[in-house]
Amino acid sequence: MKIKTNSKKDKNKIIGILGLGSMGKIIAKDLAETFNGKAIYLARDVNSVKNLAKKNDAEIRYADVSKPKTLVKAFKNIDVVIHAVHHEFNLDVMKACLKSKTNYIDLGGLYHYTKKQLKLNNQFKKNNLTAVLGIGASPGITNVLAKYASGFLDKVENIEIKIGYKDFSTYKQLSPLSASYSIQTIFEEFSWKPAVFENGKIKFVEPISGREEYKFPKPVGMQKPQYTIHSEIATLPYTLKAKNVSFKIAFDDDFVDKIKMLKEIGFISDEEIKIGKNKFNTKDVSLEILKKLPKTIPKRINEYEIIRAVVSSKHKKIIMDAKILGINETIDKDTGIPPSIIAQMIADGKIADKGVFPPESIIPEEDFFKELSKRKIYIYKNDKKIN
Amino acid sequence: MLFDFVVLGATGEEGNITSKDLLESGYSVLLCGRNKSRIKTLLKYKKAKFAYVDLNNIEKTAGILKKSGAKIAVNCAELRMNINAMKACLISGLHYLDLGGLQEMTIQQYKFDKDFKKRKLTALLGCGSTPGISNVMAAYAVNKMDSVEHIEVGFAWDSNIKKFILPYSIESIVHELTTDPIVLDNGKFKKTKACTFEGALKFREIKKQNTYCIVHSEVFTFKRYFGKKGLKFVHYKAGFPEHSFKVLDAIIKLGFGSKEPININGINLRPIDFTREVLKKIDRPKGYKETEDIWIKVYGKYGGRPKKIEMDCLVKTLKGWEDVGSNINTGMSISIMAQMLNKNLIKKEGITAPEEAVPCKSFFEELAKRKMYIYENNKRIN
Ligand SMILES: NC(=O)c1ccc[n+]([C@@H]2O[C@H](COP(=O)([O-])OP(=O)(O)OC[C@H]3O[C@@H](n4cnc5c(N)ncnc54)[C@H](OP(=O)(O)O)[C@@H]3O)[C@@H](O)[C@H]2O)c1
Repeated sequence: MKIKTNSKKDKNKIIGILGLGSMGKIIAKDLAETFNGKAIYLARDVNSVKNLAKKNDAEIRYADVSKPKTLVKAFKNIDVVIHAVHHEFNLDVMKACLKSKTNYIDLGGLYHYTKKQLKLNNQFKKNNLTAVLGIGASPGITNVLAKYASGFLDKVENIEIKIGYKDFSTYKQLSPLSASYSIQTIFEEFSWKPAVFENGKIKFVEPISGREEYKFPKPVGMQKPQYTIHSEIATLPYTLKAKNVSFKIAFDDDFVDKIKMLKEIGFISDEEIKIGKNKFNTKDVSLEILKKLPKTIPKRINEYEIIRAVVSSKHKKIIMDAKILGINETIDKDTGIPPSIIAQMIADGKIADKGVFPPESIIPEEDFFKELSKRKIYIYKNDKKIN
Repeated sequence: MLFDFVVLGATGEEGNITSKDLLESGYSVLLCGRNKSRIKTLLKYKKAKFAYVDLNNIEKTAGILKKSGAKIAVNCAELRMNINAMKACLISGLHYLDLGGLQEMTIQQYKFDKDFKKRKLTALLGCGSTPGISNVMAAYAVNKMDSVEHIEVGFAWDSNIKKFILPYSIESIVHELTTDPIVLDNGKFKKTKACTFEGALKFREIKKQNTYCIVHSEVFTFKRYFGKKGLKFVHYKAGFPEHSFKVLDAIIKLGFGSKEPININGINLRPIDFTREVLKKIDRPKGYKETEDIWIKVYGKYGGRPKKIEMDCLVKTLKGWEDVGSNINTGMSISIMAQMLNKNLIKKEGITAPEEAVPCKSFFEELAKRKMYIYENNKRIN
């Protein structure tokens, strides 16, 4: 896909990608295809990204999120850093951005981190910087869908976010535990109590609860979304002044059974465990064991995802869908593309407000949808395509 | 202090039961293992003491055995340590009992027959529930026949609360469920695929249950001791309740049973060692009760006519032993056999197995004292 609008490169516009894991790589691809400035890859293992950087004509700098000093140095002269390492480092990276005077974007903070991050608003404002929190697919596209729908209502009562997914791919090899995103995040999502905003109040429910059948449009069809801790709940109730906000995501039964089982028998615990003379964090060891599993090798990828926000007032209901078809590329692109779009909007000065913002408070919805459509992510309002 | 018995692996699930049974019977016991924190309650007995023993070090283990003053070592440690424990007994001159070595280990263990005979020592292998009770039941049934052709043997268990509780050593379970077992088929040993489905069977006081063919030592020892009576087929069938099997299967499929070390912060760790510690933290919930049936079906001839004897040993969670459920049938059996050896009721020297060496009647009586009941064709006999 080549959709460069401006073929002349402006080497003074610089976007940094911190962390080149699976998300970082998708972001890198989108930037390479669409950004007319310069990309810098910020990695702990510089060698591991050499080939990619060469291919995409990007620069590499050493940066280790567990060593904040390396960040401040690495961020020098960068306009926007997209943080794509794990969310437990969000705050540290933001603080480094304050020191290096760099704008900041991340992919989400599973509610609790987001809450802490929002508190840096004044500092970002004072430093004339912009931070956009949680701009992937969900959080991210979800927040913007809800915001867009709210424009058609006089008063928002309810926001229900639901994510459904169906896999039609064929495989050469199937991993015994195929996850569409970081197992570490999944561990957290399955063990932290999900926040639900109900009747104007936050309440925390049991993990993996609320699993009910729900019919998504074709071809996704019937799924069982469950409550999950997500950062949408940390912002939408306040920004859109809703009374009820919930977030549910569907996983397949076998996957849920396996993670539930690991959790029930103690493998996802944060407790320290003593083995011989050594002590380990239980969850960390489990993660390493799961990382060693044979990987899923697709023959032909064919995935479909629907990101849905149902937003209603007392009298009116608006259903917003983002539909993503992944043929020969995984639907993860819906998480990697939005940060690339928003980073470019900041670098181009299209997003200029200063402070720390959730997506719904700062992103121009229609421009964003237009960019998504260029990347074959289509938005529907009450079943009618609008981008 | 001098001891009547040494228990190796006293810190494990079975070792705990064995040690408690011996101590409750009034004997003095040297409790050996590495993880002392697991035997705090046992150490409250006056006649109990702990000794740190790493079975990887044979010489050191032999030294501790010798100094203990005991005549008998009861090995309840993980079966991969069986040969080391036997070597330590040979050096120190102690009789030896263990809980079995499945297939590969059992074959290796029989190679020490001459060494034990030379030293006039007994090494009684496979003294738990199965192998153990199953072997004594088999001997009892085979004795009642002129010839025997086919033996089916196995276990089945269930619990009133369907919560996952580690049934026994996870290392052994993983080995059992992933190793291709050898069966006795028409007089010949034959390899089959690991964990093949053997059908759903109904058991005494246990609902219908799926059974699987797994590696077990009975296949070898039955052939060894009953071969002369014509035995041609031995099939082992392990039954797990669905709630337990599902978890064990997932543990294996997700890599938690792997013995391949992984590097964690510079430390090499075998996933199975990690898994063992994690699963040990799961306690039986209040009111949790287990029932287990160790069963055997012997098909043969008596007086020229076909004869079938079905034997069951039924065990239930016992008062005062709630925290170990039906595992008492393993830990207590080896304690009973060790005591029989101590009282000279078992005399065979060299390597032997319960079907050859253990007097059935008195063994069954001891089981009954511990509320483990034996049924012969559905009639209780102890
Ligand atoms: N025949 C039967 O009916 C039957 C039934 C169930 C189990 N078994 C067998 O019995 C054995 C024990 O089972 P379990 O359920 O009691 O297992 P467990 O709870 O995991 O106990 C294993 C024991 O082995 C000890 N051990 C392991 N490596 C050692 C070493 N290098 N040096 C010293 N001790 C070592 C451990 O000591 P530390 O923790 O102190 O290191 C622990 O006491 C297994 O082989 C199992 O297959 C037989």
